[in-house]
Amino acid sequence: MEYLLHILVMAGIYIILTLSLNLIVGFTGLPALGHIAFACVGAYTSSLLALNYGISPWIGLMIGAFNAALLGVLVGAPSMRLKGDYLALATFGLGVIVYSIAKNWVDLTRGPMGLPGIPKFSVLGFELQPVWAYLLLVAVFVFITAFVIGRIVDSPFGRVLKSIREDELAALSIGKNVNRYKLIVFTVGAFFAGIAGSLYAHYITFIDPSSFTAMESIAVLLMVVFGGMGSIGGSFIGALVLVIFPEMLRFLGMPSSVAAPLRQMIYGLLLVVLMLRRPQGIIGRYRFK
Amino acid sequence: MSTFSSLPQPNSRFFFASALSAILGIAVDRLVYLPLRKNNAPGLVFLLASFGVFIFIQNLLQLIYGAQILTLRTGPVVEGHQIASAVITDIQILILAASLILLAALWLVIDKTKMGKAIRAVADDTVGASVSGINPEKVILYAFGIGSALAGMGGVLVSLETNIEPTMGMNAILKGIIASIIGGIGSIPGAVLGGFSLGIVENLGIWKIQAGWKDTIAFAVLIIFLLLRPEGIMGKKTDRDKL
Repeated sequence: MEYLLHILVMAGIYIILTLSLNLIVGFTGLPALGHIAFACVGAYTSSLLALNYGISPWIGLMIGAFNAALLGVLVGAPSMRLKGDYLALATFGLGVIVYSIAKNWVDLTRGPMGLPGIPKFSVLGFELQPVWAYLLLVAVFVFITAFVIGRIVDSPFGRVLKSIREDELAALSIGKNVNRYKLIVFTVGAFFAGIAGSLYAHYITFIDPSSFTAMESIAVLLMVVFGGMGSIGGSFIGALVLVIFPEMLRFLGMPSSVAAPLRQMIYGLLLVVLMLRRPQGIIGRYRFK
Repeated sequence: MSTFSSLPQPNSRFFFASALSAILGIAVDRLVYLPLRKNNAPGLVFLLASFGVFIFIQNLLQLIYGAQILTLRTGPVVEGHQIASAVITDIQILILAASLILLAALWLVIDKTKMGKAIRAVADDTVGASVSGINPEKVILYAFGIGSALAGMGGVLVSLETNIEPTMGMNAILKGIIASIIGGIGSIPGAVLGGFSLGIVENLGIWKIQAGWKDTIAFAVLIIFLLLRPEGIMGKKTDRDKL
């Protein structure tokens, strides 16, 4: 039971990541391949604040999300001019650089040794120790994320995003400042990814750079594409299926030296088959252009 | 003074490895990229599908050979040659010589042969090429074969110098992409220039700071180029519209 709840907590955290990436990739059509970098910033910010200065994880979570958003602005401002494959490469580069900083800035992050003993969230003086309590907390954040992103994409602002996705030139020609819209979307996505990172850090209570590799960004992108680009429900499906399904491999009694690469092989194969057969995902309507 | 007798002799396994790479490359093209071309899939779908292929093959290798590091033993370890304050080993000279020969061969094929001309034509304008009687699919098949065989040879050469592990490909891909963007995509001299510049910048960079920062330096260079000169050193400014 505990294990089941744990998987649901992880799925919840991935839903937040997938929703926030879907805003960037699915609703606005910007290929971003370094999303996990923002989660990394959120996770390290709130963990270091809690460990070094005893700052409450609640405040740390907000500062972490703001830091992630700040990185989003700093990186997004120059790179939103890039298009297609080149934007994909630049954001992928961002992911590698942030991972590399987490690994090499040993004085700050303890590098590959990671940060152990990160405190959990507490409510009215009670630590959220049981997994179900944490699941509730994550569910609240999933709800907030889905609500905010749902409101954004259904607003006039969201319609501009869709017009950028469908025809950037047309959006420009009706006087929309396309780059500003892209930057806002990129920053909002980064903000929520920062929240997901912080939630992860204070749940697992240990982080190290290996949780934030480039492969992890690809996995989140796969969840977006699998569920359906430009679909809120699709992000739920994508994250739930792709978090829960590999866990089932555990019950086939394979040693982890077989199960781990097998899981990755399934991810890879799934990505290829999706691109060949259903590039719009399970319930998405939009395709890459 | 060491002699070159300690070097691995060119043997059939080297050619077997590159032949296998060529076959694998062509197989991936037929199974994945050909159907995508038929669907008129956009570039990003190709990119994601190739990531899928990459993840699949990397983990297949890990499943077969395990995650541990393997080494290619090539003979006794001998002292390198001292040139000024730098040291270069026989194996490093061999790698350098072999890559120069391969580069010259590639340049000859691309620049001087009919097939090379066809490859350039298809890259430039697929429809135009097929109008003038070139079969683009055949050309793409050759390009995949040649490219994958070269990548296989590159892998063998790299493994003479470093350890072999399933995840070694990621770095090679990334550095390859960065080098070709720095140099200018579609230019062989540009690729050489980009490769050397990237290597020099990376290694001068870690002269003063820790070696772990190599990737950070490489990607910082990439991002600077993407922002300031996306067409690369050798690329033409007019190519910018295509980016």
